[in-house]
Amino acid sequence: MPLIGAPPQPITSAPLVFFVYLVLILLIGSALASVLLRNTLYAVGAFAASMVLLALLYLAIAPFLLVALQLLVFTTVSAVLLIGLLRATTGLGASSVGRLSAEWIIGGAVSAVMFALLALVLGATSWPVQSCCAIPESFAGVLGNAYAVGLAVLAVIVGSAALGSGLMLAAPTLPSPRGGGSTTSRSPGGGGSTTSRSPGGGGANTARGSRQ
Amino acid sequence: MSAGLNLLLVASAALFAVGAFGAVARRSAVVMLIGTQFMFMAGALAFVAFARFGLGAEHGSAGAATALFAGAVAVAELAVGLVMAAVIYREHRSFALDADRG
Repeated sequence: MPLIGAPPQPITSAPLVFFVYLVLILLIGSALASVLLRNTLYAVGAFAASMVLLALLYLAIAPFLLVALQLLVFTTVSAVLLIGLLRATTGLGASSVGRLSAEWIIGGAVSAVMFALLALVLGATSWPVQSCCAIPESFAGVLGNAYAVGLAVLAVIVGSAALGSGLMLAAPTLPSPRGGGSTTSRSPGGGGSTTSRSPGGGGANTARGSRQ
Repeated sequence: MSAGLNLLLVASAALFAVGAFGAVARRSAVVMLIGTQFMFMAGALAFVAFARFGLGAEHGSAGAATALFAGAVAVAELAVGLVMAAVIYREHRSFALDADRG
């Protein structure tokens, strides 16, 4: 009796393969956009889109509980944290993009493509979870029985992160050690001309900085 | 045409490379945190792919459970990192991590 059997077969159903390829392409594209975009709000939007796309990919190859957690918990919490940070710091009103600008049109087109893709797969395969084989039946039961210690450790980690975040946000900020004068002493002509040093003297800058 | 382990591992590697680029090459703390999230996502995707298509597929729940734990740890890391970014913003009025450089 072999200890390890043959590996499972890859997905060969044409709509599901098309779905996986398209989701992967969109996932890499949205990840690239999230990293390359200059506007932080758009970067956060592309990041949330890539989280949703990963959940769509899990729909085809992972238990449904992981899909639900990825879609409802991880995506929502990450997006809320990022948008909350932007609201608390730069503000969301800083973007001066009109309602009919190219960014909104491209975003609407991408959203429409994603929904059309989901509708196509749902219509063609009735549901990817059922059309894909070898899905564990009671993932929640396995998670609760075999990974109870892991879940407890995870609760401690998440609780510690929440506590640390709250403490850091509540702590008063210390005044900057540089004070306000550091920016005024950066003029290239500086005060170095008062001393008769050799032309290559880079030490004048450091001396001037330490005096202030 | 099929979708199997190789395709998902290539996609995972590409996602990890994109995340590493964002974490290394960008100055904004927010984009760096997003890059680390992409690296977590890539690792979770590889775990799920191995659990679904690899030789360890008899215990398919293990990969999904690992992906679940990785996602939760990523969210905790994002929470702490975003608070640090908020503190940096209070100090420098910018998310750039090297804003004090001339």
